[in-house]
Amino acid sequence: MWSWVFLFSAIVPDFERDVAPILTANCAACHAGVAKASGFSVEKLAFVLAGGKKHGKAVVGGHPEQSVLIQMVKGTLGPQMPMGKALASKDVETLEAWVKALPSDAPTAKTTWRWPYEKPVKPKGSSVDEFVLAKLREKGLSLAPEADRRTMARRAYFDLIGLPPTAEEMAAFVAEGDFPKLVEKLMADPRYGERWGRHWLDLARYGETSGLEGDGAIGNAWRYRDWVVDAFNKDLPYDQFIVQQLGGADEHSKSRNNYAPNVQGHVGLGFLRLAPWDRSNLVADEVRANYLAEVTAATSSVFLGLTVGCARCHDHKYDPIPQKDYYRWQAFFNTVQVENVTVPYADEEFAAKAAAKIKEIDARLKDGPEKAARDAYEKATLPRLVAKRRELAAGKTLTDLRLEMRRKEASQFSKAERRRYELVKEDADRTQDPEEQGALGRVDKELMGRLRLDPARFEVLDVEDLRKEMGNRQSKVFSEAERDKHGDLSEALDVWRRRLGRWQPVALTLKNVPGPPNGPAIAPVRVLLRGDYRLPGEAVEAGFPTAFTGKAEAAVMEIDRYRQFPTRGHRLTLAKWLASKDNPLTARVMANRIWQYHFGTGIVATPSDFGVNGERPTHPELLDWLAHEFMESGWSIKAMHRKVMLSAAYRQSGENAGWEKDSENKLLSRFPRRRLEGEEVRDSILYLSGRLNAERGGPSVFPPLPADLADFARYGRGGAAMWEPNEKDEDGRRRSIYTFQRRSMPLPMMAAFDAPVFSESCERRSATTTPLQALAMMNGNLMHEEAGYLAKRVAAESGDRAVQVKRAFGIVLGRVPSEAERARYVGFSGDLESICRVLLNSNEFLYVD
Amino acid sequence: MTRRDLLLQSYLGLGGIALAAQENPLAPKKAHWPARAKSCIFLFMEGGVSQMDLFENKPELVKRAGQRMPQAGNTEGEIATFSAAPNRIIPPVAPLRQWGQSGRWITELMPALGGVADELAFVHGVKVDNNNHGPAVYHTLTGNQFPGSASVGAWMTYGLGSANQDLPGFVVLGDRRGSTIGGTGVWGNGFLPAAYQGTLFRNGDTPIVDLNRRAGMSEKQQRAELDLLQWQNEQHRAGRTNTGELEARIAAYELAFRMQAKAPELVDLSGETAATKKLYGMDDPISEPFGRQCLLARRMVERGVRFVMTLHGAGGDRWDDHGDVKGRIPKHCKEVDQPVGGLIQDLRARGLLDDTLVVWASEMGRTPFDNNLVTDKPGRDHNQYGLAVWMAGGNVKAGATFGATDDFSVRAEGSPVPVRDVHATLLHLMGLEQDRLTYLHAGRYKKLTDIGGRVIREILA
Repeated sequence: MWSWVFLFSAIVPDFERDVAPILTANCAACHAGVAKASGFSVEKLAFVLAGGKKHGKAVVGGHPEQSVLIQMVKGTLGPQMPMGKALASKDVETLEAWVKALPSDAPTAKTTWRWPYEKPVKPKGSSVDEFVLAKLREKGLSLAPEADRRTMARRAYFDLIGLPPTAEEMAAFVAEGDFPKLVEKLMADPRYGERWGRHWLDLARYGETSGLEGDGAIGNAWRYRDWVVDAFNKDLPYDQFIVQQLGGADEHSKSRNNYAPNVQGHVGLGFLRLAPWDRSNLVADEVRANYLAEVTAATSSVFLGLTVGCARCHDHKYDPIPQKDYYRWQAFFNTVQVENVTVPYADEEFAAKAAAKIKEIDARLKDGPEKAARDAYEKATLPRLVAKRRELAAGKTLTDLRLEMRRKEASQFSKAERRRYELVKEDADRTQDPEEQGALGRVDKELMGRLRLDPARFEVLDVEDLRKEMGNRQSKVFSEAERDKHGDLSEALDVWRRRLGRWQPVALTLKNVPGPPNGPAIAPVRVLLRGDYRLPGEAVEAGFPTAFTGKAEAAVMEIDRYRQFPTRGHRLTLAKWLASKDNPLTARVMANRIWQYHFGTGIVATPSDFGVNGERPTHPELLDWLAHEFMESGWSIKAMHRKVMLSAAYRQSGENAGWEKDSENKLLSRFPRRRLEGEEVRDSILYLSGRLNAERGGPSVFPPLPADLADFARYGRGGAAMWEPNEKDEDGRRRSIYTFQRRSMPLPMMAAFDAPVFSESCERRSATTTPLQALAMMNGNLMHEEAGYLAKRVAAESGDRAVQVKRAFGIVLGRVPSEAERARYVGFSGDLESICRVLLNSNEFLYVD
Repeated sequence: MTRRDLLLQSYLGLGGIALAAQENPLAPKKAHWPARAKSCIFLFMEGGVSQMDLFENKPELVKRAGQRMPQAGNTEGEIATFSAAPNRIIPPVAPLRQWGQSGRWITELMPALGGVADELAFVHGVKVDNNNHGPAVYHTLTGNQFPGSASVGAWMTYGLGSANQDLPGFVVLGDRRGSTIGGTGVWGNGFLPAAYQGTLFRNGDTPIVDLNRRAGMSEKQQRAELDLLQWQNEQHRAGRTNTGELEARIAAYELAFRMQAKAPELVDLSGETAATKKLYGMDDPISEPFGRQCLLARRMVERGVRFVMTLHGAGGDRWDDHGDVKGRIPKHCKEVDQPVGGLIQDLRARGLLDDTLVVWASEMGRTPFDNNLVTDKPGRDHNQYGLAVWMAGGNVKAGATFGATDDFSVRAEGSPVPVRDVHATLLHLMGLEQDRLTYLHAGRYKKLTDIGGRVIREILA
């Protein structure tokens, strides 16, 4: 009763399970193999979709009534098939249900929401305020009065550099009040890139480990992180910012034959590698399909603000994005090959520092204390392995033969025999081929017959054997304590090995496959039915979404005039289309993101979804105006900061008497208060205590984990360490953007403050309130240590309790205490550290007005 | 009544200022339908439990022990690769036998579970989307094989809030031998707000990270600090409008302070009788750790914790028995049998089983044949088509079975049961409907079951 089920439920017929049996039984006699009547074969899904010579396409996805296959089995198109008989009606229904569920050429979603696909016309206007005020006036509202200088300074510092002003900076600004000057100063501060780069890393789903089995490092992701920070600091025009992340190292030369792209272009490409990575999967097709799917979802939502990723398995339910468009987008990435590339450090100073570091660590690995300690332990334990193996030896086994072979000159076997044996065994091990293994078996058998057991054979056991035994959980030679000790000694050495790897100038990136004539042909991208890599359908060519172009045509690729590199330029083609002034969405999407990071909510409140499911823009004209201003400024993000931050809308107070008419603040009748983000909380606490390590860039660091988690930070006893010590204590106190982003082990305090591990692109952080935040802030390591240091700092700089309280307020809150506060704090029973902790926990500190 | 108390009350949803109550993401919410279960204990066995050694009686495996595995039909992906190799069939490590009125087949290695067999409902032939641990764990626990989605517990807490505001709504009881393979993400909030993430309870004196006051800090001292803080926050709030979130934070500090008293009481087992501890296998060092976790789980649901994720297996001690099934499987069974059997018995005796949904799952099943590794102690490989899941309590139909695997326990007999069907069923049993429990993220109304699962009505009472 399958067919009945299909008609009345969401269960979709499966080609292999439901459709193929019908076709095989009824049609294959003529439509298969060499016969292939009318050029049509039902042998495989791909053949059925490809259609025949006579009628062309056999099925039209989503439209059984237009499909030749259905018309012919029903007899509405003659001759009725199968020739001379009629298909059972339940089988016809199954075929119909199957065709109905196939992807169609036209989008399923019927929507009148065309705004995202229409190129914005620049509205008349000269400032942000003009647009904001127009909307407010409609409701009889106006902007709130300008915020006081202290509020303005705190707002601008946190907004642009993610840290509060020092007491001195605050005093200077309160005295002078030159806000445009302050904005310029902060944008020129290198900490600006650390703050705004972090926003981009959220979008780029920045993490440094695979997130899955073993959660090992995916490569030197930090190169990409530093590239992003630097791009923001030097105000890299946003169109180039896009091109370098998607089309890096993909350009041709107009004048040079055999041109090699700029190797530095590989660093920004890290964007395409940052997602979780299923490295242990043995099925290459599945890994590839998942990789392409992820890249498609990420690139379309981040750069275009459209959720193309929703069309993997079927047409987009809401937006005019057919499933085919999804695979046509994917096809731009079909030439990529996941592989890291050596990219020399562009900055000479850093290159010198890294070279010195590599030299130092190399030396340490060769003869440092960790090496010496493990060597000594191995030297001491190896004789026991030899003795115990000899003691446990019983009978004649293959192991004995292998040992005998390793005895070189002392072996009973001749050099030629040993050589031959080595080759046969190597082939069998490498290929795992039954034939090769059979050959090894025969040789083994013959030699075993001749093998004489010599007790001296155990002398060839070496450290490799020892390490293997030390890793054997069922070891009969070494105790658990001994194995743990060896594990710890090895781990101490491995830490240096991993550090060495992080300093090596290898970027997390990808390459293009060579393609013909330099390599094998590349399989085309196919529409995958239900997104399943095992159900490939028709092949598609790379092309832009039809919602923009009107029809599904192949994109004109950036090709090399010498036609030497056919796989180069595909990514670049997509990148340039995105980074074009003609693209109706790109500038709007980024202008909206910038607005969101300033005001907490975007003009479109769903910044990665401008589609039907997204929120409608509150100020569409303003957004279009900003998008034009953005492009006209040469895609300068800093120009946008000026435009936004110098407006009265940004400079207004958080309190407006008429707020109830705009209770959700959609019209911006006041400046929205916001809670600090996790990074801002941690960085500011360290900064105020005077202990923030301001070093910039380079391999990531490991802030200390809470002691409670230490044993949890490994995969089981003796498993790989998930967290590492730092080389220097102060490395643990660098800004949060420089901390190692292990997907399986976020810092608990950061996780509590809504800074999750980024496995998917995150377009907007939540700001929740939980008791776990309070616990971290009352009892956590960081708070306790840094409140103590802050207290020391205050005590060193000032005199009696009243002066101390004044100073602590100045440092933490940037103001003097009120008379009531002064009295209450001076009379407080706790010590200065307590006072510092209270101030660092206060809402006034944790929120920005 | 002080202002602090008033705020606290409003935070707890007992009345008072409505705005502050809205700010509490864990306020209890109405279920979509009046299901019996109010709490869920999810027993997760990491590594891939061997369904044919524990729960599936397959005479063919005994009959053909040591013979080469016949080519299994209709296999794909890794399983196809595996079964193409010359693999030998491994019979069950110990006999299975029928237990209780229902005649349920369970291994003789699990007599305590056998003793409560009539309480259980099984689903066989559950299919996971990936044959490797990392993605499979994510798929079973979050509905998506890649990290970033919300876990089952996060969804349930999001849907129902929490009945106890002094404790987290979603607790994770970890295996003290190490972390799960996907790390904290497998019980994470994913795209849901952070309030719905699982809170890890440690097996020790500090059950929650940062719960304990620092050495040298007395309760009185901390109270004084907190009073000053709340006074300070009150000053700050007084001059402002739209202060819901500020008030919520004031309340959150009070809750944290209370949690410091409540959570240690929760994990303090000194009030439990020796008989109870024995019931949970805590008298035997092998079953003591998981027995403690199960007993804690009961204490949690007694106190209204919504979801308790109870993890077993870590590192080399997972159910990932690639080698030495004969040595390892009896040990895993011994570690969990008495604790799990005792838990069901205890919940029943205390009248809690009707209000509690107990779930047993792993991330995959295993193969009937050896994985062709060169060893004298054969082991079983991964099998993404053979996961067996059981449930008990709430509206679960005790003694029911749904789905089956073929004669070799390689693949489902008939249609496989996708994991999303299990998820749909779990939500349903907690009073939630998959299509109403959604969250708009990245352009889609996300749900735990993604494209939608089928509630397995065959195992509902």
